[in-house]
Amino acid sequence: MDSVGNDVHNSLIVVRAVHFTATAILSGSLVFWTVVAEPILRSSEAAIIVWLQTRRAAWISLAIAAVSGGFWVLLQAAAMSGLPFGDALTADVMSTVVNETQFGLVSEIRFALAIILAGCLAYDRLLWVRGLALISALGLIAALAWTGHAGSTVGEAGILHLTADVLHLIFAATWMGGLVSLARLLAAARRSRTDAWALVALSTTQRFSTLALISVGSIVATGIINAWILVGSLHALIITDYGRLLMLKVTLFAAMLMIAVANRFWLTPRLALPPGSEPQLKALRQLMRNSMIEIVLGLMIFSIVGLLGMLHPAIHFENL
Amino acid sequence: MRNSAIVLAIPLLVLLATGEASAHAFLDHAEPRVGNTVATAPREVTLWFTQKLEPAFSTITVTNSAGQRVDTGKARVSGSQMTIGLRPGGAGTYHVTWRVLSVDTHTTDGSFSFQVGK
Repeated sequence: MDSVGNDVHNSLIVVRAVHFTATAILSGSLVFWTVVAEPILRSSEAAIIVWLQTRRAAWISLAIAAVSGGFWVLLQAAAMSGLPFGDALTADVMSTVVNETQFGLVSEIRFALAIILAGCLAYDRLLWVRGLALISALGLIAALAWTGHAGSTVGEAGILHLTADVLHLIFAATWMGGLVSLARLLAAARRSRTDAWALVALSTTQRFSTLALISVGSIVATGIINAWILVGSLHALIITDYGRLLMLKVTLFAAMLMIAVANRFWLTPRLALPPGSEPQLKALRQLMRNSMIEIVLGLMIFSIVGLLGMLHPAIHFENL
Repeated sequence: MRNSAIVLAIPLLVLLATGEASAHAFLDHAEPRVGNTVATAPREVTLWFTQKLEPAFSTITVTNSAGQRVDTGKARVSGSQMTIGLRPGGAGTYHVTWRVLSVDTHTTDGSFSFQVGK
């Protein structure tokens, strides 16, 4: 690969990582609202604050996803055509990429979903509009499966791979986006120091723990299927860059999981202590700190995902 | 914590298991077969890949012993299979060069030869 090709390749890794992260936080925030916050808060004052937090996070991540998604299409056109970045930005090349490739078709669908989502966030008074926003956001993250390795696997394994990848993306987004929402909710509870907010913090953290448990189980199960298809053996896991990166990703995931276990069984019960008391406030602080550490670990994982998608999967080298 | 340790170990343990699968668009097999000899010049060359291909960015060229192109131009792509027609030609070594884009947006290339009439 020449230096121009290297520039496009490296830019693609960064843009993919940013886009995946923003899309995950976008859909995960809306899942958190729908599954965790809204059923607990209903029409309370806290519900208004948490929804405004959710909507703000969704707008920011949608904007980042839109910009990074646009760059992704431009860079991908250069990579597909084999032309330097500047030369690839012609009507002919762009038209071919957008209209005649699976990546282009998926990008068009995702662009339409982003427009629908923006409309829903702008006119969010009605419940069904928020529901449509959630569906659009889930579509936005799920469709990523068709742009990656899972989208090109042939035969019955292809259906299995796509199904696993769609679920893997949705549950990874649910955990990551949920953590961001939870950290912001805990910060609001800490600032407030009222009984009502203490109860909100306890209830939402407990409910999120259940959602996180379901997400982690699904991430592990679907991750195993993906690894079986893309890596295939312990030998390939060890000798290839793809395999080693995947091991690093699993290690970071394990670290996130250990923190989540500590949060669930050690810190969350302490939120039930008298509101405003030192032990209760300390538990809130530690939960927020741990959530931030988990978010940083999650960002590192998404960076690895950005790179993994650009590498030849380990299974190929194993079969040579 | 012991339970969580077991949960953490699961993905690593399962990765120890071997599987039969493939990924990315690499040549699986071809007709005429790679390196084989056929009695008469074929009318077309077909390549089967391990992944689905993007027709817009996938090409094959076939040249004879003299280095002249003997293919008819645009290849036909169907899923993971790509075929190109050949003009009538004589005996000798035929070189097939391919460059394909799989639908997961990765480009791969390669080449092989086959013999006619020797």
